[in-house]
Amino acid sequence: MQQLTSFATDYARYVLKGGTKFYAWMGSLALLIVGMMYVFYLQNTDGLIVTGMTSQISDGLYLANLVFLVGVAAGAVTIVFPAYVYHHEGMHKVAVLGEMLAISAVIMVMVFVFAHMGRPDRLWHMIPPWGIYSFSSMLGWDVMVLNGYLILNFICGFYYLWCKYTGNPINQKWFIPLVYVAIAWALSIHTVTAFLMANNPARPMWFHSMMPIRFIATAFAAGPALIILIFLVIRKNTKFWVDDSAIKLLTTIVQFCLGIAIFLTLSEVVVELYARTEHANGLYYLMFGLHGLTGLVPWFWSSVVLMICAFVMFFMPSFRNDFNRLQIPCVMAFAGIWIEKGMGLIVPGYIPSPIGEVTEYHPSFVEWLMVLGIWAFGFFILTILLKGAIGIMLGEVKFGGQTVATK
Amino acid sequence: MKKLAIPTMILAFCCGMMTSALAQDSKAAAAQAPAAQPPQETVCFESRKGASEVTKRDLKPGWPNVKCSPKTGAALWYGDPYDGTVPMGKMPGLEKIPEGHAVIKPRTEKLALMPMCGVSCHNGVGPQFSPPTLPKGKKPVPLPTMEAMVPDLKDLQHGRGRIWCMDCHHTTKRNMLVDHFGDPVSFDQPQLLCGKCHGDKLRDWRDGIHGKRIGNFTSTGKKRWFTCTECHNPHNVQDGARNRGFVQLQPEASPQLPRGMKDASHEKLHPIAH
Amino acid sequence: MSSLMGAAALMVQSDDAAAATEWAEHFQKNYRLMTDAEKAEARARLERRYSSEYGKKVAVDTTEAQPGVLMGYALNIRKCIGCRRCVHACVEENNQSRGTRPGEKIEWIQVLRMERGEFSKDKMNHGYPEGLGIQVGGNAYTPAGQVLEGQYHYNPEAVPEKDATYMPIACMQCEKPPCVKVCPVRTTYREADGPVVIDYNWCIGCKMCMNACPYWARRFNLTKPVLPKEEMNPVTHYLGNRPRMRGVVEKCHWCLQRTRHDRYPACVEVCPVGARKFGNLLDPESEVSKILERKNVFRLKAELNTFPKFFYFYD
Repeated sequence: MQQLTSFATDYARYVLKGGTKFYAWMGSLALLIVGMMYVFYLQNTDGLIVTGMTSQISDGLYLANLVFLVGVAAGAVTIVFPAYVYHHEGMHKVAVLGEMLAISAVIMVMVFVFAHMGRPDRLWHMIPPWGIYSFSSMLGWDVMVLNGYLILNFICGFYYLWCKYTGNPINQKWFIPLVYVAIAWALSIHTVTAFLMANNPARPMWFHSMMPIRFIATAFAAGPALIILIFLVIRKNTKFWVDDSAIKLLTTIVQFCLGIAIFLTLSEVVVELYARTEHANGLYYLMFGLHGLTGLVPWFWSSVVLMICAFVMFFMPSFRNDFNRLQIPCVMAFAGIWIEKGMGLIVPGYIPSPIGEVTEYHPSFVEWLMVLGIWAFGFFILTILLKGAIGIMLGEVKFGGQTVATK
Repeated sequence: MKKLAIPTMILAFCCGMMTSALAQDSKAAAAQAPAAQPPQETVCFESRKGASEVTKRDLKPGWPNVKCSPKTGAALWYGDPYDGTVPMGKMPGLEKIPEGHAVIKPRTEKLALMPMCGVSCHNGVGPQFSPPTLPKGKKPVPLPTMEAMVPDLKDLQHGRGRIWCMDCHHTTKRNMLVDHFGDPVSFDQPQLLCGKCHGDKLRDWRDGIHGKRIGNFTSTGKKRWFTCTECHNPHNVQDGARNRGFVQLQPEASPQLPRGMKDASHEKLHPIAH
Repeated sequence: MSSLMGAAALMVQSDDAAAATEWAEHFQKNYRLMTDAEKAEARARLERRYSSEYGKKVAVDTTEAQPGVLMGYALNIRKCIGCRRCVHACVEENNQSRGTRPGEKIEWIQVLRMERGEFSKDKMNHGYPEGLGIQVGGNAYTPAGQVLEGQYHYNPEAVPEKDATYMPIACMQCEKPPCVKVCPVRTTYREADGPVVIDYNWCIGCKMCMNACPYWARRFNLTKPVLPKEEMNPVTHYLGNRPRMRGVVEKCHWCLQRTRHDRYPACVEVCPVGARKFGNLLDPESEVSKILERKNVFRLKAELNTFPKFFYFYD
């Protein structure tokens, strides 16, 4: 018990100390979080009328970011899997950072769930024994697997850190099986999220069995791309050294998953546009516009350009091996997939409506601020989690040891 | 000081979330238009313009017998479906319906010329031929007096020139219609006349497939039946060259444009640009 | 601290009775799990709140499904003239939001205008058709027009127009409703007499049902519904037309407050051409049974196996 309290206080003390850069970063995130809280208040008093959502386009940026972030959370498995299954040395050292990323991504997903709901005050209706849990609802399953993933990552991550902190050996008997469960679970969260969209014959844009694999392919490109960026930041700003081998392996994973994602997108385009049935209208709207309405066309093509350019750049040794320029294709892949899964997948599912009405989605300022704020909230948590984890990994936070501050 | 910064922020965040969640409906929008009660009585038409009408009145406070469209003047909603109705009377094929459960709105009251027809001009006199068909070799002669009173007669669009007035109107009792046997039929029961030719429609009407009924929906419930002439103009059933059974109407307002849409002109464009 | 202040502010703002009612509503159960006593309590609570809010005696009915009744609907697609009276009758009856801001106006029925198009010699080689209707043109390589897309915002002087047909669409009250399957809190369900209903007080506004509905029958209350006192219909049903709140989904329920008391739905009563027919599918003498027996009938999007109880037919 004494160990636990000292873990908490040492962790907090270490995390709260930092340089100006750290406080500037956290301060600006906090500002966005305050903005998010304000628009959340607006949404819960005026209603979702302050957003760009309508009865036709009943979900937009929120669901899009939710889906994307589930992918980022699942993407953490690209570190954990090589680390524990293939005993990759470089990955093993940073596996816990992946788990921290997963925790913050899942928390972001939860906040997006709140943001997109009409009545967040009634969320308890889903939770037994007070509420009703429906096994036939994909959203119910999604909430269940996401919470499970959060708990698994929390246990795995913090048990590992706890052992490092106290110096006790890790109890392999239950830790390793739990890690394997978490790996399989990572696939389940994104698969269930894909089913959430794909199990709707009403929406031909989503109604195909390629959705889960496409979700996983894009997730395993976007997730590790973000992880690479974070690793590069960590290498630059902390004493913690992430091995080149880890970053190189992640680069390979990003590249191949991005390739598969592009391939799947092109397959869909060919299948849908060759026959060009009514069911292709959503995709057609996305690519070229319908009835002269072309709101999503720039989004789609910019996503295509970003993804293909990133894919090509990953092939070039000058980008792949140069850790000063690796950020560029990573950011491009990340942005490209964010668009593809967001504006490029969720929104055209609503256009045209199931009975053929074509309307356009105009996200409001409130929505953008909410999205930014939730991302800021996620990065806020991520920074805290990573900072604490790095401190423990470096041995700067240790049971009985004097806590040493770093910037 | 700095130590406290982050916990404070977290606390503030949690509180903010809770406030938003608890503050449900605190800004209850009270955008309610002031009640504008027109002094004159509101009369709205039911199926087609110029046929049956209904006058608005309150059955109880806040519960009118009918609501009318401010845009078109059409009846939009019935509080009392049996307003101003009388029993339909005998109708072959409807014996199963309990007494008084089939009601109609009398047409006779609405027809301005009705009371005069039987007395002023056609006081029991008419062409003395039986059956009341036009004798061979004779053509019906348009009477300017009649045409002035009922403009639809100028271009009688019923039967395409193969029927004439006395096929429907009783020869001696001009305020009555006529059935197959030359017996008079009330203007309130035009179905007995129309069914002479339009048997299939009569059958569908009797079973509730054709035409309109309001009131109780169960097959034995009380219903107000709309008779043939409440929807169709007997002198111009096809609505002239349009050749449809129902006259044109002004439509009610179109739906609201969703947020962000300037107009609906895109609907008139082909989906695929070329 | 701030949350307490928020709660306090909430209590002070509205009068005590209304606040207490709303507070109690926050904690009530799913309607289907309520005991009769709890239902009566919820009903009394709502009647009190609505009556004070709308300044008239509001009745909230809780009549259950009657045995031996399975409601069905049929629409004569050839007769519809596109006058939209049904759309507005529905709004008058069912207390939908009537605001003017975008998103504040809710209509459950959509009338789709579809162009007839034409086959004519001089247009044979045009490739792309000019209008939106069923036209010739095109070949194996270039598309040749689409028939499902039509106009919702048509507004001519008079209907029916010469070159148009009309297709009203609302909730189909499916026998196998996809919306019910996806609801995470089981607030929407099929009643024993047919209609698919929503317990508005249990709905969490997740909008999954709106994604699942192939007929776009569901509407979302983006804000607190704008319902003027004098236009409010005081005869309501708990699962039917009682005033909704912000953030919940609503849809057609075949005027439960009427049909549970043997009255036609409002849209049926107001259709000037008698295109709309309603009846008990279990009664062979009902209008709808006769139509199914005698006429050519189809269901919209039958390939989705939703088995609507809303049938389209033509003479």
